[in-house]
Amino acid sequence: MRKMTWLLVLASVAAAGAGMTAPALSQSKVVKIGDLGSKVGVFEGYGKYQTMFMQMAVEELNAKGGVLGHKVEMISEDDETKPAPAVRKAEKLILQDDVKLLVGAVSSGATMAVMDVTKKHKTIHWNAVSCAEFMRTTKFHKYYFSNQPDSRMQANGLAKYIVDKMGKKVYIFYTDYAMGQSDGRQFKTALEKIGGEVVGVAGAPLDTKDFSPWFGAINQAQPDVLFLAFAGTDSLRLMTQLHSFGMTKKYKLAGIDCFLLQQDLPAIAEPMEGFVQLAHYSAYNADKQMAAFNERFKKKFGVDGNIMAGAYDGVLFWAAAVEKAKSFDADKVEAALEGMCLDNTHVGRQCIRKEDHQVIMDMHLYQVKGGKNLPIARLEGKDTIGEPMVGKDPVEGFTWEIKKK
Amino acid sequence: VDYVLTVLLPQLLHGLVFGAALGLLALGLTVIFGLLGVMNFAHGELYMLGAYAGIVVIGVTHSFWVALIAAPILVGIVAAVTEVATLRPIYRREPLYGLILTFGLALVFREGARQIWGGDMRRILPPFTGSTPLLGMTYPNYRLFLLAASSVILLALWLFFTRTRAGIVVRAAVQDAEMLDGLGVDVRRVFTLTFAASGALAALAGLLLAPVFTVYPQMGVEMILLAFIVVILGGMGSMGGSVVAAFVIGVAQSLFSLWMNPQRVAIAIFGIMIVVLIVRPRGLFGREGVLE
Repeated sequence: MRKMTWLLVLASVAAAGAGMTAPALSQSKVVKIGDLGSKVGVFEGYGKYQTMFMQMAVEELNAKGGVLGHKVEMISEDDETKPAPAVRKAEKLILQDDVKLLVGAVSSGATMAVMDVTKKHKTIHWNAVSCAEFMRTTKFHKYYFSNQPDSRMQANGLAKYIVDKMGKKVYIFYTDYAMGQSDGRQFKTALEKIGGEVVGVAGAPLDTKDFSPWFGAINQAQPDVLFLAFAGTDSLRLMTQLHSFGMTKKYKLAGIDCFLLQQDLPAIAEPMEGFVQLAHYSAYNADKQMAAFNERFKKKFGVDGNIMAGAYDGVLFWAAAVEKAKSFDADKVEAALEGMCLDNTHVGRQCIRKEDHQVIMDMHLYQVKGGKNLPIARLEGKDTIGEPMVGKDPVEGFTWEIKKK
Repeated sequence: VDYVLTVLLPQLLHGLVFGAALGLLALGLTVIFGLLGVMNFAHGELYMLGAYAGIVVIGVTHSFWVALIAAPILVGIVAAVTEVATLRPIYRREPLYGLILTFGLALVFREGARQIWGGDMRRILPPFTGSTPLLGMTYPNYRLFLLAASSVILLALWLFFTRTRAGIVVRAAVQDAEMLDGLGVDVRRVFTLTFAASGALAALAGLLLAPVFTVYPQMGVEMILLAFIVVILGGMGSMGGSVVAAFVIGVAQSLFSLWMNPQRVAIAIFGIMIVVLIVRPRGLFGREGVLE
């Protein structure tokens, strides 16, 4: 009996010991990063590619021995494209999984909600696709970084081309939440500043099924150019419907960089023909860096890359900053990231501006021809990024009112 | 002239297309209201099931046209079984029972569809694409077909209700089921068949509209609110009233959206309904005493 008791005591001590040391060992060798975005629904394409690009970066890092001697492990979560689940999943990633970097979300509304979480829990937050203007202005916090050209950058680069080459009368049609509203505000401001005339604006809710009720007002306004701020399956439906009403031939088309991913274009090539947008990447850009990057991506996943490649850079920047700071501590990594430049990103050199943590990079105007996004002009990063405006409304005094000429 | 052709006429066409499809949905709803004395909250879910049944049939047969016949039959059977199993036992009770029951049925159907097919949006491709140049504007062929098909079905239904014995029996049941029972008609059978037919009609509308609106479990909820407004506006229980009101709502909604954002138009439509209910509670063509 006594022998039995001793055995039991020994066994439990051993078990407790194992329990204490095992996680300590694995934790010292693994560092986790979070991938948060839409994995189903209207923006699922963006979320799925975000995962792929991050996975590519993680595998490349681990092949070189990881980060600070730690193997990088990625945890993916679906935010259902809504702010509330995004906040819940972000808290889960940070508090339960202890991620040191959070990449996401896809929808601007969700990203803005997640910013409160990353601010509260002091977590490095990288955004690679949400383009509302508020993240680096009124919502900005020190742990937030982005290499997605936001509404202001896109408007700065695209408005002039529209007025010079496409037509002066523009109708702005946008998806009615943070992203589209921001795009609409910025484009209206930029267009009017350089002599363009906004002949109409209208917002349609996210996930609208039938856009035809809006078409009458568009035809009534008689624009030269239709500026479209939609994304994902909304864009697919909108273009199909515009085309079936003969409106893709009647008007010139321009829109935001995330309007559709390259993968969606071949199926909708005819309606999209001639569509102009400003973006940082296309699989059909002959630029050496981009072509080489696309080659690597295609070898791994069997498909072309797209603008979600910014998520790849996010992981690289964070890893470089951790190595520089020799720590995973968010404050030290944040300090290391400020002003940092990297040459091995998907487009070559990118630098993080100190004031608002926005990445400066050269971009291109692209036009869709035969289902491919082809570059038509190159724009320098300094010409599009605009002034740092942390804490300020970048278009103060803005109104949606149409000035009749 | 240019304004009329490029702006007003297409909007008017939108309104007619939508109104005709809405009419199919509202007609079934109003007939069931006449029979049960309550609004069938599950009507939107039968509309949704029509679209999903269409996806299933198209998956097997690869034909939209076969689905257009088979899906309403399948949903009609579901509706008949539902009527016999759940509604029949409570006909003698207060109307409130029917209201709560159909509300519950709606939840069961909607969540059932989510379980079986998932919450993702699905597309049904139109059986033909392309557009027709029409008086200087371009209009999608499928929407023109939608208008023609819905109008033909509505006309056929009108002939059924006015020219056939079966149609007259249904109208009699809507007006006074007890009297009909007294005259020796098997009212229970009339109820079941009518409920099945109204479900089939909703399913037909669901499948016809699916290529325009896409398919998802919530699609019925979004549509049924408008159908309720149509039924109230047309006069509860008035079949002709429903059809007229459906076209009125369709065209009004379409024309309003020339001057205000279509999101706000929905509010305006509710406003119209409130005004009609205050001024004329029985609706445009309703019988006296239905809601008073």
